Amino acid sequence: MSEKQQSGVNKKMSRRNFLAAGGAAVAADALIIASVPAPLAAQASAPARYPESRGYLVYDSKKCIGCTACMLSCSLTHYGYQSLSLARIQIMQDSFGKFPNDLKISPCRQCKYPVCVTSCPVGAVYVDEANGNVRRIDSKKCVGCKTCIKMCPQQPHRTIWNHIEKKSSKCDLCVDTPHWNEKGGPGGKQACVETCPMKALKFVAEMPDQKETDGYDVNLRNNHWLNLGLVDNSKVIPPRQAAEAAGDKTTKINGNAE
Amino acid sequence: MAGGYSGKILRVNLTTKQIGTIDTAKYEEFGGGHGIGSAIFFDLVGDQLPFPAFDPRNLIIMIASPFSGTSVPGSGRCEVQGLGPMLYPIEWFGHSNFGGRFTAQLKFAGWDGIVVEGAAQDPVWINIVNDKVSIESARGIWGMDTWDTQDEISRRVLPQLKHGEWAELSNDANTTQVPAVVCCGPAGENKSRLGALLHGPGSQAALCGFGGVFGSKNLKAISAIGTGVVPIADPKALMDARLWFRQFLWDVDNPREAERFGGVFPYTLIGGSPSGGNILNRELPLTPARAAACASCPRGCRMRLSTADSNESVCAGTMMINVDGSVKFTRQGNDLMQKYGLGHWQLRPTMNYAMLLYKEGVLGKGKQIESDIPFDREGTFDYAAAIMRAIALREGAGNELAEGAARLAEKLGRYKQDVDSGKLKLTYWGLEEHYDTAIAAEWAFGSILGERDLMLHMIANYPIHWMAMSGDPYLTAEETAKLYADAMVPYQGDVFMVDYSDGPTGIYSDSTVKLVAWTKHYEKFWIGAGGFCGWRWPMCITNNTADRRGPTPQAEPRFWNAVTGKNISFADGMEIGHKIYTLDRAIWCLQGRHRDMEVFPDYAYEEKTSGYDVPMYIDGKWQYANGAGRTLDRGKVEDFKTRFYKFEGYNPENGYPTRATLEKTGLTRVADTLQSKGKLG
Repeated sequence: MSEKQQSGVNKKMSRRNFLAAGGAAVAADALIIASVPAPLAAQASAPARYPESRGYLVYDSKKCIGCTACMLSCSLTHYGYQSLSLARIQIMQDSFGKFPNDLKISPCRQCKYPVCVTSCPVGAVYVDEANGNVRRIDSKKCVGCKTCIKMCPQQPHRTIWNHIEKKSSKCDLCVDTPHWNEKGGPGGKQACVETCPMKALKFVAEMPDQKETDGYDVNLRNNHWLNLGLVDNSKVIPPRQAAEAAGDKTTKINGNAE
Repeated sequence: MAGGYSGKILRVNLTTKQIGTIDTAKYEEFGGGHGIGSAIFFDLVGDQLPFPAFDPRNLIIMIASPFSGTSVPGSGRCEVQGLGPMLYPIEWFGHSNFGGRFTAQLKFAGWDGIVVEGAAQDPVWINIVNDKVSIESARGIWGMDTWDTQDEISRRVLPQLKHGEWAELSNDANTTQVPAVVCCGPAGENKSRLGALLHGPGSQAALCGFGGVFGSKNLKAISAIGTGVVPIADPKALMDARLWFRQFLWDVDNPREAERFGGVFPYTLIGGSPSGGNILNRELPLTPARAAACASCPRGCRMRLSTADSNESVCAGTMMINVDGSVKFTRQGNDLMQKYGLGHWQLRPTMNYAMLLYKEGVLGKGKQIESDIPFDREGTFDYAAAIMRAIALREGAGNELAEGAARLAEKLGRYKQDVDSGKLKLTYWGLEEHYDTAIAAEWAFGSILGERDLMLHMIANYPIHWMAMSGDPYLTAEETAKLYADAMVPYQGDVFMVDYSDGPTGIYSDSTVKLVAWTKHYEKFWIGAGGFCGWRWPMCITNNTADRRGPTPQAEPRFWNAVTGKNISFADGMEIGHKIYTLDRAIWCLQGRHRDMEVFPDYAYEEKTSGYDVPMYIDGKWQYANGAGRTLDRGKVEDFKTRFYKFEGYNPENGYPTRATLEKTGLTRVADTLQSKGKLG
């Protein structure tokens, strides 16, 4: 990745200089306190500092079955092994919980105002103009200070700590998947989308509604889903059952099995 | 060990409080899961057999597979092994199995499995957090139901974790996941032979009574959580295989022939659509719900409801308790069964037998077995709650019922009378008849030649029987037979393996010998050692593809080789399955197994069956038929067994494995032990 391909707005500080300035962890904390409010304030007054990403992951949290296959494919294609902790999309479940609050999905939002980019003290987080403006982390530059993780405004944070490499990571829409035979990124394929057996993840080119916290959580279900008896409102009658109630006997309901 | 394995198995001795490891590589030849578990059981206690299931020498063995924690579809199961107190007349070395996230978390914690030995002096639970393992006091947890137990243990393991947030687990590593806990309930604590293990709200290891074994060891629970990785030998090949597998899945947005079978439940059985395993949310108005999957499963047969009742329970977990006129109370009744940790599959015959004894005046107030269980209120929630509480806590008559129907009948001196007459259909090893014994050959023979109910729906039950039952099968009987004959490597080409007639090529034939052998070998390796789900695998046919072919036998070795880096064929896996089955059989022989015990009750030979729809080859033509009116022929069954033993390399006189067979499969040390005990065939 050349410097030209990165957004030029980040502070340019080498790993050596940064560490020499007092150590990554200490410096990171200091940076959070001292420098972060300024970029955040700047966003409010000058919102269009970065070109928008030309790709986003949206999801249907009511369609997700929680198999975590998206997480495993994410770590597999990026790292060559499987791990939930290293996955750049997280599925969190409470088996005892009440639908729909029993499950949460948290992919990176490819934010319009990417705090991870603005807050990185070494310029490792950048907007990849050569790949659809995807917000990415250059692991060679990352010094492992975790600033991007601490500054991610989402909960849970979408920048992921790789405890093995001691680096931050984040969703790159599969731009860099050395362990997959497919081309990723905007215009390509995403491992999580391709793997999801429920088609509960989708790549879209248009930016989802940024004003709503759940603007990325969309309805990807059709009548076939309703016919499984999976409704999100008790007043909904699946088309199949409605047809039966109307006297259409062409479909049969068979007995129970064990 | 290139991929799929962590390299070490956790070994915990509750008597000595020692925590050690076993090198997985020592047992790699057995694949994983059930295979490694059987080998460890034999090595640790085989020469001490027989001894009782509640003896501290008994083991609880839970070995993951190379697939656990990977994206191999339908591999989220956990195999549990040990002597099973539920089984009758001998507490056979048995296995049970549950879904969820436990084996995945065990692998992420860096372990290929866990072996528990001995018994603790006071109640404990085992805490696995990555490589840190400790035996913790269960004070304040012992006595809790299975749901509260999991909640409390999760809180103790990760008090800082909030749903939807990251928590630092150890060594600078984070997780958003909750600990995976498997535990017994009050039933297990009280050493009920119906005691199950629970993971999550509804995932049961229901058979064999391992909840009771937990209780006998003063072991309340095992918790696992990890932040590590599962190595994959060929990541690109695994990703390609996973995406190749999509063609065999039920397409949620545009399913093939979505309207063909009607009803949610039939097409979840036949086509593998999501959610249909929970039968308690099909009547209008529907309760809002999601389909919910075990780790890596592309099917998601479970549900989680907006009311949070019957969450993650499927099939028997949603149908053993019936409260008349109330779906809501029926769900809650089944949930109560899960909370008590009562094994659903044996609860029903036990409750039914109790009712029979009540109606016959044997059980009740002032009767031979004194009881204040309100049998006269059958069908109410109060009745269900009272009898389950009695069994779980061994209160009053519950103390007798907790022994299970078989041992209660024996105590009353009426076992033979009630079972042989068919009043109490305990068809194989004290367990209730599941499918038609006279027709469903692989199920019946596979059970009696095993140690428990076969419980493998995907061999022929869902794909063939339920397809035929739909009234609109997508394959003719002949087409089904041909596709199965293609898929059933290494016996491919024999269409009569799925001829369920009682004619020359039917259930007593050499073709069915191969069907049963194929079933046992697949059960032991691809499901038992591979961790595959019996509701997903094998897939010899499917309506999700244009040519109706399923992924079996291509998928299994493709996934195995991608994950492990080995180069085995489907037939190689089946050969390992034969080896594992032979080892299991050797263990049963050390416990007292003889071919004379492998017999069905008299009713199977005398009571005419009501039928079971499957392919049959009758008068030179294939057809779907149900065989109604058939009874088993005792002589033909015995002749079938003789040919089966020979086929598998066992002595037909007694069913014992021969030295030649054991040595050929690399089990020479097993042959030596059998010989020293006079059990060599």
